[in-house]
Amino acid sequence: MTPMEALPVPAAPDPLPPPVSPAAVAWRRLRGHRMALASLVLLALYALLCLGAPLLPLHPYAEQVLAHENLPPSFQPAGITLLATREAELRQLLAAEQRPASPRERTQLAGLARAVASDPVHRRIYLLGTDALGRDLLSRLLYGGRISILIGLLGTVTAMLLGVALGSIAGYAGGLLDTVIMRGVDILFGLPYLLVVIILMALFGRSVFNLFFAVALLSWLTLCRVVRGQVIGLRHAEFVTAARAMGASPARIVFRHLTPNTLGVIVVFATLMVPEFIMAESFLSFLGLGVSAPLASWGSLVADGAAVMELYPWQLLGPAVAMTGFLFAMNFLGDGLRDALDPQSRRGGVHGR
Amino acid sequence: MKRGPKSPMLRFLLRRGLSLAATLFLVITLAFLLIRLAPGGPFASEKQLPPEILASIQRRYHLDESVPRQYLRFLGDLAHGDLGPSYRYQDFSVDELIRDALPPSMTIGALALLLALVGGVSLGTLAALRQNSWLDYTAMALAVVGISVPLFVLGPLFKLGFALRHPWLPTSGWIDDRRGWLTLILPVATLTLPYLAGIARLTRASVLEVLRSDYVRAARAKGLSEPVVVLRHVLRGALLPVLSYLGPACAGILTGTVVVETIFAVPGLGRLSVQAAINRDYTLIMGDVIVFAVLLVLMNFLVDLGYGFLDPRIGHGADAP
Repeated sequence: MTPMEALPVPAAPDPLPPPVSPAAVAWRRLRGHRMALASLVLLALYALLCLGAPLLPLHPYAEQVLAHENLPPSFQPAGITLLATREAELRQLLAAEQRPASPRERTQLAGLARAVASDPVHRRIYLLGTDALGRDLLSRLLYGGRISILIGLLGTVTAMLLGVALGSIAGYAGGLLDTVIMRGVDILFGLPYLLVVIILMALFGRSVFNLFFAVALLSWLTLCRVVRGQVIGLRHAEFVTAARAMGASPARIVFRHLTPNTLGVIVVFATLMVPEFIMAESFLSFLGLGVSAPLASWGSLVADGAAVMELYPWQLLGPAVAMTGFLFAMNFLGDGLRDALDPQSRRGGVHGR
Repeated sequence: MKRGPKSPMLRFLLRRGLSLAATLFLVITLAFLLIRLAPGGPFASEKQLPPEILASIQRRYHLDESVPRQYLRFLGDLAHGDLGPSYRYQDFSVDELIRDALPPSMTIGALALLLALVGGVSLGTLAALRQNSWLDYTAMALAVVGISVPLFVLGPLFKLGFALRHPWLPTSGWIDDRRGWLTLILPVATLTLPYLAGIARLTRASVLEVLRSDYVRAARAKGLSEPVVVLRHVLRGALLPVLSYLGPACAGILTGTVVVETIFAVPGLGRLSVQAAINRDYTLIMGDVIVFAVLLVLMNFLVDLGYGFLDPRIGHGADAP
């Protein structure tokens, strides 16, 4: 028996609670927010349907079947709807003119019935109806959603990179650099934003790339201001002093220590920015300055639908409902995330650890 | 350290005014450069013109001069309030086109802003005072709808419901003898709703917060009546976030007029701008940008003034770093 073994073994301390990452805290809070969770599910569904559109058994979104123009939404094959519509039209005409059908009209209808029976194109089902050129609206809606969502995401990513980087630098550096960056932001804020985008689109031509560029160009301003404010609030915090004392370079302090601490605000802003971009893109497409045919986006579909809404209201309602649903879900998710990530309401010290 | 005028208010006005003028100048310069640098002149895509005619057209619009000279000429004309001839509408100057288009846009925009402000603040305050009542839930549900539904979805739906299916209101156009002011209703309603919703939501949140503060408790303890507490004490503190929302809201309403005027065929500045952009009518685009920028800058200036009015602590005298 050695003396060492004789020493009393110190009692094991109470086991510490396992460390909880900020992300886990946020996730737990978000799960309590029912609307936000439902929105998350809805958004996942949108993403799956729109981004997976090429894998779905859809009719090509640009293919025109002129015989199928302006068909209403239906679960029946297009041929049956078409035949029923034509018969009803003829009956109405005959009743108005009070005469029996002429042989020519009868052969026409019989010919259509034969074509419907034989041609496989008439077996198509248009769940959301067709547009004026006989294109499947469901397919156009999903492919249009692809463009809208993609622009929303790309714009947000660009805005986050630019806004976070410039905002962090301005906030940490202060002095002349801060003044130059923030004056620039002020000036760009003074621009009538969408008018500038309209000019850009008109001058540099309409393409999806230009559209994305125009939208992203002026989008980082708010985020830049917000991040700068956050960084200014944090730059005298102890963990920054500690990092500096340990010899960390300014770049390391900004991007390893300060930026991650503003992440909550950034994520909330990002969720609220996606719908903004989608609205901006759709706004331009609505005015005829965005994506051009045969490509579609939610905005251009709403514009096309609005032009014929009196006769074929489903062409407006489909895209309008799809787009509004997405924006709703995005806004609810943003609200939920704000509650979940707000550093002020987060219990337990996460900062400065 | 102190130089210049003595009154802090005057100093604030001067400083803000100078900085806004600088912003305006830069915006105008930027727009000018953007337009001159763009590929393809205003007469490029037309049918092939004989070179001598093209040269004479370019001379007429001073396009044969160097860019710096064009810029100086442009600034000089601008100082006289002259925005030059329209490239597209041959017989009109940009001044005339804008003068005709401004009143409808201003009417719609000002009415929408006023209604959104008054309606939103009242609705938000009522919802906060009756928290968790049916009124609160209805108002907030309405607010979410207003925020999520874009203008260009709302507009056609309104038009479909109130003008086409049920011909209660005119579908399009502007005030005339036959229909009177009825043409105003749909555009203004469309433009108002999103901002009314945003303001109502903000007001509710901030009134709820102020209601819990000490000074409101003190006011109540003094025995002030509830309307006095709400109107004089709560609202004054609660309106600050609403005020800072007004800047972006004004910008939104400015661009919103573009959509609303397109949907309801109002002969306003928004529609003129879109037409100008599509037609590459450079002088007209410049004119529109300048008018929009001036309006935006003025609104932001008013918002800044409002801060000092609502919260004396912000004080215009303090020398901000």
